[in-house]
Amino acid sequence: MNADEARESLAFSEYARKRARDDMSRPWLALVLLASLSVVSLSLTESAASLTGLFWAFAGPLGAGAIALYAYRRSRSSGIESSPLGYVAITAGLLILAYTAGRLGFAFQVPAVARFGPAIAVAAGFLALAWIERSWMVAAISAALLAVTVAIIGFDLSPQQSKALLFGLYGFTLLAVGFSLRVGRNLG
Amino acid sequence: MTHPSSALDDTIHQRVRLGILAVLSESRRADFAYLQEVLEVTAGNLSQHLAILEDAGHIQIAKAFEDKRPRTWVTVTRKGRTALAAEVATMRALLDGIGSGQRP
Repeated sequence: MNADEARESLAFSEYARKRARDDMSRPWLALVLLASLSVVSLSLTESAASLTGLFWAFAGPLGAGAIALYAYRRSRSSGIESSPLGYVAITAGLLILAYTAGRLGFAFQVPAVARFGPAIAVAAGFLALAWIERSWMVAAISAALLAVTVAIIGFDLSPQQSKALLFGLYGFTLLAVGFSLRVGRNLG
Repeated sequence: MTHPSSALDDTIHQRVRLGILAVLSESRRADFAYLQEVLEVTAGNLSQHLAILEDAGHIQIAKAFEDKRPRTWVTVTRKGRTALAAEVATMRALLDGIGSGQRP
């Protein structure tokens, strides 16, 4: 094998990899669904921790199941199949982290943890989603949400104000990104 | 001292076979029609390459009927993933050697 052949083979294998990744990457449904669940969950942050736990206990598996079903149906029609395990792991991780942060905040009387812990867990979950989908756009937006959440902690806001701010910020941003990916699939 | 090119695996360094393994290494599995479209090869040509990779233990082929139509799914094996990674590393090493002035 000479240098030109090696270069050409490497370039071709890289093209094939990228094409497979692009054809499997359709994060819009996962984003919209997880965003909706997260927003509802954030709205329960100041409620009894058991209510948030109950919500995630039902919504988590349902969300993961819907995403896995969508991925399965899409792979059947496109001819290339990705593993749904990553989505299931992210949903389970969101459930555990958001719930644990809320519980710890209440248990140790640290309002900031109870108020912002679930939001930070959600942003971290979307970073993991970005990695699975190899989407720089989702990664950038997740990192921005994480940074803004940390910045909000520094402001002297009332629980209601911070809750409303996070609710609007996460809900609007993630739903808008999810639907924009659905409309213009090449953005992902 | 052996030449780096002696580490190349004859079974997979062919362009189409490398492409097949590259696609499969990114996914859980892919079907015959998808591979044919991405790699831009004829059905007969693709079948030959798949048979070579299957004989070497790099891939597994499963034939099934879905909606009353035959469908062929292809999966990369652990051996296939390892061989692909080694092949790409060897080719990169070869090109690096050329770039640094060693004889190819």
